[in-house]
Amino acid sequence: MSLLGPLGGSLFLWITVSAAALAVGAYIIKMRRRRFEVPFSHLWKRVLEQKDANALWKQLKRMMSLLLILLIMGIVLFAALDPTLGAIDREARSVVILIDASASMKAMDGDEAGKISRMEAARRRADDLIDSMGGGDLAMIMKVDGQATPLSRFSSDGPMLHKIIHGVTGADRTEVRAQEAERATKARAQKAAGEKSDDTPSRLLDGIQASDTPADLTRALGAAADALRDRPNPLVVLISDGAYPEQQLGLVSWDAQAPVAASADPQAKPAASAKNLAMVDLSKVDVRYMPVGRRSDNVGIIAFNVRRYIANKAAYEVYIEVQNFGTEAAHRQLALYNGDTAVDIKRIDLAPGQRIKQIYPKLPGSVDNKLRASLRPVDGPGGSDSFALDDQAYALLPARKKQKVLMVTTDNLFLEGALLVYENVDPAKLTPEQYEKNPAVADMMDVVIFDEYTPATLPPPPVSLLFFHPTGPNSPFTVRSEINGPRITEVDEGHPVMRWVTMSDVYMDKSAVFTVDAKKGESTIAYFVRDPIIVAKRDGRRKVLAFGFSLPAAGRESATDLPMRVAFPMLLVNTLDWFAGDQTDLLTTYPTGTRERVPLDGVIGATEAEVLAPDGTLTRTPVIEGLATFYGSHVGYYELAAKNPTGNTIAQIQLAANLASPGESDIAPSTELTLGGKKLEAPEAFAITHSRKIWIYLVLLAMGLIVMEWVTYHRRITV
Amino acid sequence: MARAAATATPSVIARPNRAVDRSDLFDDKFLKTLEHLHMVSRKVFAGNIRAERRTRKVGSGIEFADHRTYARGDDFRYIDWNLYGRLDKLLLRLFEEEEDLHIYILIDVSDSMSIGSPLPKLHYAMQVGAALTYVGLANLDRVAIVPFGDRVMARLPPSRGKNRIFRVFQFLRDCEIGGKTELADCMKDFVAQNKRRGLAVVISDFYDPKGFEEGINTLRYNKFEPFVLQVYDRREAEPELHGDLALVDCETGDTREVTISKSLLEQYTRAHEAYCTELETFCTKRAVPFFRTHTAIPFDELVLKIFRSGGFLR
Repeated sequence: MSLLGPLGGSLFLWITVSAAALAVGAYIIKMRRRRFEVPFSHLWKRVLEQKDANALWKQLKRMMSLLLILLIMGIVLFAALDPTLGAIDREARSVVILIDASASMKAMDGDEAGKISRMEAARRRADDLIDSMGGGDLAMIMKVDGQATPLSRFSSDGPMLHKIIHGVTGADRTEVRAQEAERATKARAQKAAGEKSDDTPSRLLDGIQASDTPADLTRALGAAADALRDRPNPLVVLISDGAYPEQQLGLVSWDAQAPVAASADPQAKPAASAKNLAMVDLSKVDVRYMPVGRRSDNVGIIAFNVRRYIANKAAYEVYIEVQNFGTEAAHRQLALYNGDTAVDIKRIDLAPGQRIKQIYPKLPGSVDNKLRASLRPVDGPGGSDSFALDDQAYALLPARKKQKVLMVTTDNLFLEGALLVYENVDPAKLTPEQYEKNPAVADMMDVVIFDEYTPATLPPPPVSLLFFHPTGPNSPFTVRSEINGPRITEVDEGHPVMRWVTMSDVYMDKSAVFTVDAKKGESTIAYFVRDPIIVAKRDGRRKVLAFGFSLPAAGRESATDLPMRVAFPMLLVNTLDWFAGDQTDLLTTYPTGTRERVPLDGVIGATEAEVLAPDGTLTRTPVIEGLATFYGSHVGYYELAAKNPTGNTIAQIQLAANLASPGESDIAPSTELTLGGKKLEAPEAFAITHSRKIWIYLVLLAMGLIVMEWVTYHRRITV
Repeated sequence: MARAAATATPSVIARPNRAVDRSDLFDDKFLKTLEHLHMVSRKVFAGNIRAERRTRKVGSGIEFADHRTYARGDDFRYIDWNLYGRLDKLLLRLFEEEEDLHIYILIDVSDSMSIGSPLPKLHYAMQVGAALTYVGLANLDRVAIVPFGDRVMARLPPSRGKNRIFRVFQFLRDCEIGGKTELADCMKDFVAQNKRRGLAVVISDFYDPKGFEEGINTLRYNKFEPFVLQVYDRREAEPELHGDLALVDCETGDTREVTISKSLLEQYTRAHEAYCTELETFCTKRAVPFFRTHTAIPFDELVLKIFRSGGFLR
């Protein structure tokens, strides 16, 4: 028997002594006699003298009540020590059970028949482990996928640990749901009041489920080692299919690493035993491995990318990469969908280990921007596999929109002609006089180009503005001076406007020189030596670009040969694309299990973003410097809504996430696992197969004795 | 009783000192009952000459009492010649001496008599005593009231006539009560103080640690006619007690710790019954009229019972 109660020895002794003193004191008070007046005590004396012969038995009967009370108290105190039946031949252990919940655990080969997934097999192994825990063992459940998530504290409460693994069912589930609903309501109210709220969903409801992310084993082992620090007999049991990258398996150290001593010679090389901060120190931890999974055959999509053509935004190109991870030849049907419309379906045949690439060029665009690649099984051997997650991949076409462009100019064929070539533009034109009469016309435009004209009234944001030779106090940029015969000597090639543009030999007879204020978000795109002559800025919700020189047109004195250059239409296209936030390298597809910074281009004032996952869960993420942190835990399409401090949605972006991980698609299970060069053993059989807590029986016994004491007292047996 | 109240602790089971308050003892209802008792007593002795309780003394009265053998020197006028003719023996006729006989009502007013429910024994005894006194007064007997406890208290001297009853009531309301039970000493004092012999009705619970024998014998030996009336409370005979108690004697203050169990209660009941039987047997053997009653029996029923037995009225 073991005593698991939380009370220390001296404290328990104090409690016992105090309880016994209390019981005896209460008994003495109970034994205080009432005084009763009698008319003739002589008779009582006569009677009592006869009974003195039985005095000893009477004493014993009276003592029985006190003895019963002391016995009851002793039983209750003993129950408080939480005694457990069963022999223990070792000390209690602290166990962290790492349950792999990565994408490969969704493979349906948890049993011979293929009826259960690896995840279910892992849950059952975890159940067996918990049930075989010894009397003093404490276990913590930790879920391993793209993150390491502790799901419990150290506990010996088997039923609670089982619930964490499997979730709650029946009435418990209803109760947890009700609690969740109440918590969500409270969180919404707190949020509305501007208070901190916790709307993290409960981990109890559905138990441990496999995610769509690769496993970060290093992070999980590090978390387990931290949790087990200073605990007795630390043990980690990893329940997994063993499908980890080699790199992660090597980031473990079994020797305690000493810190590197400071060297007096700054040129000296670091010692060979220098500490690798990326390695997990498991020197004091016993790590064991429980494998799950049987099959290794799998064909999966390991890459799925799409990009729009620069010149023709209406067309796009798709790239798909598929690999056969099995040891047998495999056959599949590869289908590409744009929304619900099948773009292409073809049969592919792969040899063992073969990787094939498919490119779909010049695919016409459509209203639906959702693309999906799908691997479908075919009849016959090698036509299907047990891992379906990587048979689907998702991508989004960046939003394509025809820009409304207003030219405020006198006749300028160079400008008008360049815009007419651009298919994604819906041009309009006004003369400056017409604009001055009705400037509100520009309010509905996406872009307004002011050619040799600087109005007093600018269109309101988000209309972007392009100026050629702005002048006067109404110029969006401060004009410092004018120079003659400038050349473009320096260009910000990283700026989207200057992509694929060469302007070094462009002729300008004169140009305005701007004063750039970085505090106002202004930046210089092109210099003449040190004079900014092409500048840009983001002004709130819109962008502004200004050229210091004029375009040639009838009736103008200044001239430049820029419109005759190839760079001119490219410059315009780049400018319009920059205004629209349309960058060819803007990624809308992300791998699951990694934290990505998503640029919210053109979105000004967002402080937080809400992310709606494919499974319907809603999470919040901060927006810092125009970038939102995105973590995809499921494959599929995501909706990201950028919100301002008042909670209003100011922009919505769609994202797609895929597994896209050859490491996870290679689902071949490992019956053995080597970490840091050390082969992991299976967990040893626990000393006792089950432990029985007997405190409940002791409490029931105490209750029975209380009833007995009450009966014997009130029936005058013990008095 | 007062001493018990003075020494009582808050743990003593409350026993109000009802024996002290005797103001309602002889109310109109009681008077009516007395009158009824008197009527009954008259019916019992219809035809008899009232107002005279005959002694059993032989003297010069006119009523024949007995015969005795003629001895030389006797007055031959009293020879019963009729008997001589029949029996051929000389027998002398004897005649009763007419003399007033006193009735002494001795009421135990010790502390033990203050206990009882619904009525303290003392009140009950006083009512019985008053009833007997009234009957005696109505029959023109001389009746005296003598309270006693650890000593003989101030008495009400013998008096005759029904109209004396109110004085009797007042005396009983005001008389001193309390003290231990000293039956033997009180009887000795009584016989010494009262030379005129008569009927001594002792109304008491007879809870004397020194016993009752000596007291009753003192009356007998001094030519009094003892009439024993034992009064007890039913809860004394069958107490309803339980648990651990400290029994306090209301007269002596002695305390005895006891744990009351069912068997102990049964033993006590038997002991009480044995004590009462012992008293009864003692009286019966000595031809002393004995009555035992408890306070739940109405006093008039007891008095009627006494009348029917003929022990009080002759």
